[in-house]
Amino acid sequence: MNVETSQTGSTAVAAVSGRVDSANAKEFEEELSAIIDKGATGLVVDCGELNYISSAGLRVFLIAIRKTSAAGGGLALCRVPDHINEVLEISGFSRLAKVFETVEEARGSFG
Amino acid sequence: MDVNLRFDLSLDSEEPRRIAEQFERFGAENGLPARTIFGFQLALDEILTNVISYGFTEDAQDAVITVTLHLTDSEVGAVIVDNGKPFNPLEDAAEPDVALPASDRTIGGLGIHLTKAFVQKLTYERVDGCNRLNLVQPLEAPEDDA
Repeated sequence: MNVETSQTGSTAVAAVSGRVDSANAKEFEEELSAIIDKGATGLVVDCGELNYISSAGLRVFLIAIRKTSAAGGGLALCRVPDHINEVLEISGFSRLAKVFETVEEARGSFG
Repeated sequence: MDVNLRFDLSLDSEEPRRIAEQFERFGAENGLPARTIFGFQLALDEILTNVISYGFTEDAQDAVITVTLHLTDSEVGAVIVDNGKPFNPLEDAAEPDVALPASDRTIGGLGIHLTKAFVQKLTYERVDGCNRLNLVQPLEAPEDDA
């Protein structure tokens, strides 16, 4: 797993690649928390290069949703591969985080 | 076609990933559908993570966890056997309420919920002091060229 981040104003984009599972979910959680703690209220996770996620990764999304929502923002996902989108649907996470086609649309959802 | 592979696991939190990646390679080598490869990786990862995290005491010396993969023309399967605490994930895991808002959601039970969604046939039995979970996914017959 690798996470590359960029921030414009109060909206940050985290591009995650590789696998997120129980073995590295803690590291992923720390990466996203660091972004939020630096003042991002809108967090876009670009899943374009994400190959795999398990429930341990969804837990990290849930934590990020709670933290950003508490700050008046939220979590948006974009460029989600088909199988990961199915995971989001089955787990109900497609109702907790908005899912967009492109980074621009996702970033734009935070105004 | 009849392929069998067996893996012996240690009580280590990195092991579920090793097995998931082995399955990814196994699936790719044998031309399995992408969704089946993803679904089995997820199922093996979720079940093994539970077994390794909760099935044994931390200092267990006699833990035995094995995964056997089998592939025929008509199905792909995995059998997970462990001599840990009796646990039937198909019945004993809490069913998550996936309609709850973020403030009320928990992750408990989500792994087995996903496993049930991605793998068509799951059966559990407790035999000879071991949990034995059987996962089977029928494979569609290849298109007939004739």
